[in-house]
Amino acid sequence: MKKMFNQVGESMKSARRWHGAAKAAIAVSALSFLASCAKDAPQDTWQPAGPNAEKIDNLQRPVFYVAGIVGVIVFAAVAWTMYRYRDRGQAIPEQTHGKPALEIVLTVIPVLILLGVAVPTAGTIFELAKTSDTEMTINVTGQQWWWEYDYPASGSNIEEFGITAPIVTSGQLVIPENTKVLLRVTSRDVIHSYWIPKLNGKKDSVPGRVHLLRMEGSQPGIYAGQCTEFCGLSHSYMRMEAVVLSRADYDKWVANELEEYTAPAAGTEAAVGESLFIQQCSRCHQVNGLANSDGSLIISAPDQYLVSGAAPNLTNLMTRNTFAGASWDLLTPECRNNVWNADSADFGERYLAGVSSDCLNQKDLREWLRNSPAKKPMYADPTKLEASDGKYRGMPALGLTEDQINSIIAYLLERK
Amino acid sequence: MTIIDRPSTDVAVVGGAPTGVKPSEALGVFKRPTASTSWRDWVVTVDHKKLGIMYGVTAFFFFIVGGVEALLIRLQLIAPDGTVLNADQYNQMFTMHATTMVFLFVMPMAAAFANYFVPLQIGARDVAFPRLNAFGFWCFLFGGLFLNSSWFLGGGADGGWFMYAPNSSTLFSPSHGIDFWTLGLQITGIASLTGAINLIVTILNMRAPGMKMMRMPIFTWMILVTQFLLLFAIPVITVALFLLSFQRSFDATFFDVASGADPLLWQHLFWIFGHPEVYIMILPSFGIISEVLPVFSKKPLFGYPIVAMSGAAIGFVGWGVWAHHMFASGLGPVSVTVFSMATMAIAVPTGVKIVNWVMTMWGGKLTFTVPMLFAIALVVQFTIGGLSGVTHAVAPSDTQQTDTYYIVAHFHYVLFGGAVFGLFSGFYYWWPKMFRRQLSEGLGKWNFWLMVIGMNLTFGPMHILGLQGQPRRMGVWTEARAGEGFFNLGFWNQVASIGSFVLGIGVLMFLVNIVYTHKSKKIAIAPLDPWDGRTLEWMTHNPPQEHNFDTIPTVSHLDEFFHRKYETDATTHAVTQVHSAEEVMAELNAHPDEHIHMPSRSYWPILLALSLPVITYGLIYNRMLMAVGAAMTMLTMFGWSMEPSTSPDEDFDPPAPGEGGGHTKELSPLG
Repeated sequence: MKKMFNQVGESMKSARRWHGAAKAAIAVSALSFLASCAKDAPQDTWQPAGPNAEKIDNLQRPVFYVAGIVGVIVFAAVAWTMYRYRDRGQAIPEQTHGKPALEIVLTVIPVLILLGVAVPTAGTIFELAKTSDTEMTINVTGQQWWWEYDYPASGSNIEEFGITAPIVTSGQLVIPENTKVLLRVTSRDVIHSYWIPKLNGKKDSVPGRVHLLRMEGSQPGIYAGQCTEFCGLSHSYMRMEAVVLSRADYDKWVANELEEYTAPAAGTEAAVGESLFIQQCSRCHQVNGLANSDGSLIISAPDQYLVSGAAPNLTNLMTRNTFAGASWDLLTPECRNNVWNADSADFGERYLAGVSSDCLNQKDLREWLRNSPAKKPMYADPTKLEASDGKYRGMPALGLTEDQINSIIAYLLERK
Repeated sequence: MTIIDRPSTDVAVVGGAPTGVKPSEALGVFKRPTASTSWRDWVVTVDHKKLGIMYGVTAFFFFIVGGVEALLIRLQLIAPDGTVLNADQYNQMFTMHATTMVFLFVMPMAAAFANYFVPLQIGARDVAFPRLNAFGFWCFLFGGLFLNSSWFLGGGADGGWFMYAPNSSTLFSPSHGIDFWTLGLQITGIASLTGAINLIVTILNMRAPGMKMMRMPIFTWMILVTQFLLLFAIPVITVALFLLSFQRSFDATFFDVASGADPLLWQHLFWIFGHPEVYIMILPSFGIISEVLPVFSKKPLFGYPIVAMSGAAIGFVGWGVWAHHMFASGLGPVSVTVFSMATMAIAVPTGVKIVNWVMTMWGGKLTFTVPMLFAIALVVQFTIGGLSGVTHAVAPSDTQQTDTYYIVAHFHYVLFGGAVFGLFSGFYYWWPKMFRRQLSEGLGKWNFWLMVIGMNLTFGPMHILGLQGQPRRMGVWTEARAGEGFFNLGFWNQVASIGSFVLGIGVLMFLVNIVYTHKSKKIAIAPLDPWDGRTLEWMTHNPPQEHNFDTIPTVSHLDEFFHRKYETDATTHAVTQVHSAEEVMAELNAHPDEHIHMPSRSYWPILLALSLPVITYGLIYNRMLMAVGAAMTMLTMFGWSMEPSTSPDEDFDPPAPGEGGGHTKELSPLG
């Protein structure tokens, strides 16, 4: 055993002279390492798709290059020193304690490099904090474990974009292309963080505070994001997307959102689903225009049942293509590809088509309706709510039968 | 004749017959403990070297605990939608992994080295307050055990080691995990704070004659800076932890938004502690390799005053950068700019250190022993971590990177590639000093290379994972966000997970090496001065006697020991060895100090420390138990205060002024 270790030691000694070459090889492999990144990762921070993210990209690329060069110089110096000054029986070196001139030079160089980085950094910080050029405002509220979007009917939202009544959605943020959108980000429970990497850096959503985040997309398309502040049990299942539409498509989206509620035709499965929805779901989930049999409008009251006091508005669920904190697709994989990978000219039409019965991802939606806490970790066990005065965090299992699930899905498929 | 005046049954005596000092009794209920051989001695000891070893063994135990937690995390993340842990277990695992590694491994392991080697390096016989030192160790041990007992009592803390409010309140984390976390850290905080005071007083007051501040070994310098950081940082986290405890246990509303609180208060408190904490973890390792590189380069540390002062500069500027952990938390652009610039500024003294280490090796006579390899690896890996640190000092860039795996990569390069590699360099370098045997170099190289390969395989890919959008603290990742191609995020997650097991095996090799070194008959006792050391700790026996030095040396140089062994020709600057280590020792000990006063063992430190978990268990489970614990605390404090630091019948005679002979170094009688 010992002999083996000695041999390893010996071979290491002979390998030492190859240290320089080895380090060069490491540098080359480091470059190929960088080239071996994932293609088209949806949350890649190096593929900006809007001016805010581009500003960050323009700033960070040179910083990474300079850092890389400094790194290579240090590694080369270490490798050279290890090779050149290894013990070859030379005399004990002079006991020098330093060379002040050299040390000053080697201190001033990093100072200059950092000054070169600092100036554009400060400029970009202020550019990204600018809010005076806002063309559209959207309120974004985080709660365990999904995002709500509220498009207020005020100011330029009405005048420019025809949002004459508030639009409340969840999961997917829909914005017009080349429009300077300002998100007003807050939270109803713990701290979350809103992040669509291809459009901008992240901003925490903090309860009791409103933080502003610029958002702008240059190309129609769908951009993935993820909550990036640890927010408890289902932090991994708190995702979101930003959907950028051409102006013409955006107008269609707004018009559809503002349409009156159409009840399912009498006698259809969807009509059965509507009454089930009223019994089982509408206490928490708002569907605008949904009415009781006596004609009175149903206003959901999630604040009575949930810690955060909010549940996703399902008025137009099937215009979005993900659900449950954007954790699962409403589209089958094939239909999903068709939308997500569409080129920017076709994207709007395909997105606005929403979810048809052929394209519906039955599997995940059914599992969710059958037993949602089994699918996504939540505090939804009625027997364990002592700490929260009986209020849930997340959706409890409703104990629906398969027939009831069929009816509710039929009803939901018409929500678009 | 030198007399070691200690109340012990086996009085150690140098150069003479035992004089039979009687075991003495303390005031109070306990007889003064006198055992010096059995396990009982370890319980009542106040010897800084024994306490250093106890710190080290305990910290290494927690290193393994934290390592197993890390391996479970990587096992969970090796494939999409992992099922090894559920969401709750995962959250506990990453919270406790970070907490264990920071508070129960890196900090106390640095304390282990500081305890053992600072008194030796400055030519002292113990620390200034030996009983306080013992108390600190027991607080660390009991605090760590208390914290980890939560695993068996309903689960560990689940709020992340940063424990952001309001997610840490009972509404969002109803289990007792966070209570254990808060109170456990409160207890270990006592260890850090008492240790800091003790070491500062020791370093400032108990240096050997002639050892000016600028002749102090650089490790001692870095420990001094670290202890000042602790002295000011620990009170901040103590306050924050109290606020959180009051919120959870007594319905206070410090972080309750509905009552008008701002949750960012916690973040500021946490990071005002948390950022200096980063330097608390790294500076001791900087100190270790600043000892190791000169020894194995046969050159003094290049730019010693600059390295010392840049350490102090990091210690100061380190207080002005905390909000770079909060660039996405909604600070205004002015604050963000200020903290961004300050963070870049701190890169300068850090870069200076790297330059000085390389320049130390430049022109040297390098031997690549295992401690040297670990030290060089620190220089390289810390450089990577430092450069990625500069990229997130650029605040806009950081809003893309923060809370992604890029940050995980960054701080593991700094803390594992930096701090932990420095500690391993220290293990190999000082092992013969502590345990008489030199760890096997062959096995050590396996240990080293497996750790280097494992560490880079684990944390290298995390740069890619983070920059391509994988957030941290997620118990599952999904293929839908992993991208296309062979090198997608799934591939790099697999590489990282496999790397973590290579790293685990690497660490295991260290334990194998210890067993092999001490069991194998082939490994001989190490020579007195195995590495051709430069500093005072090598002018003692292996391991040092309980009183460290028979004669306290008078210091006239930086690298005193080296200067006693070697002479430099004034004209040619050629360096020649004129004395062996044995000759230097013999010369030093030719005139041993006449009276050596050593502190006496005591039961009180462990008893006082033991009363603290009683209070904290009481706070969680039963308020009556809390009262019992508080009574124990009061009684033990009373007992301690009534016990003299040295036994009453001890012959204590201060050196008469002008008296000739050896230098007599008195220990502070404050104890």
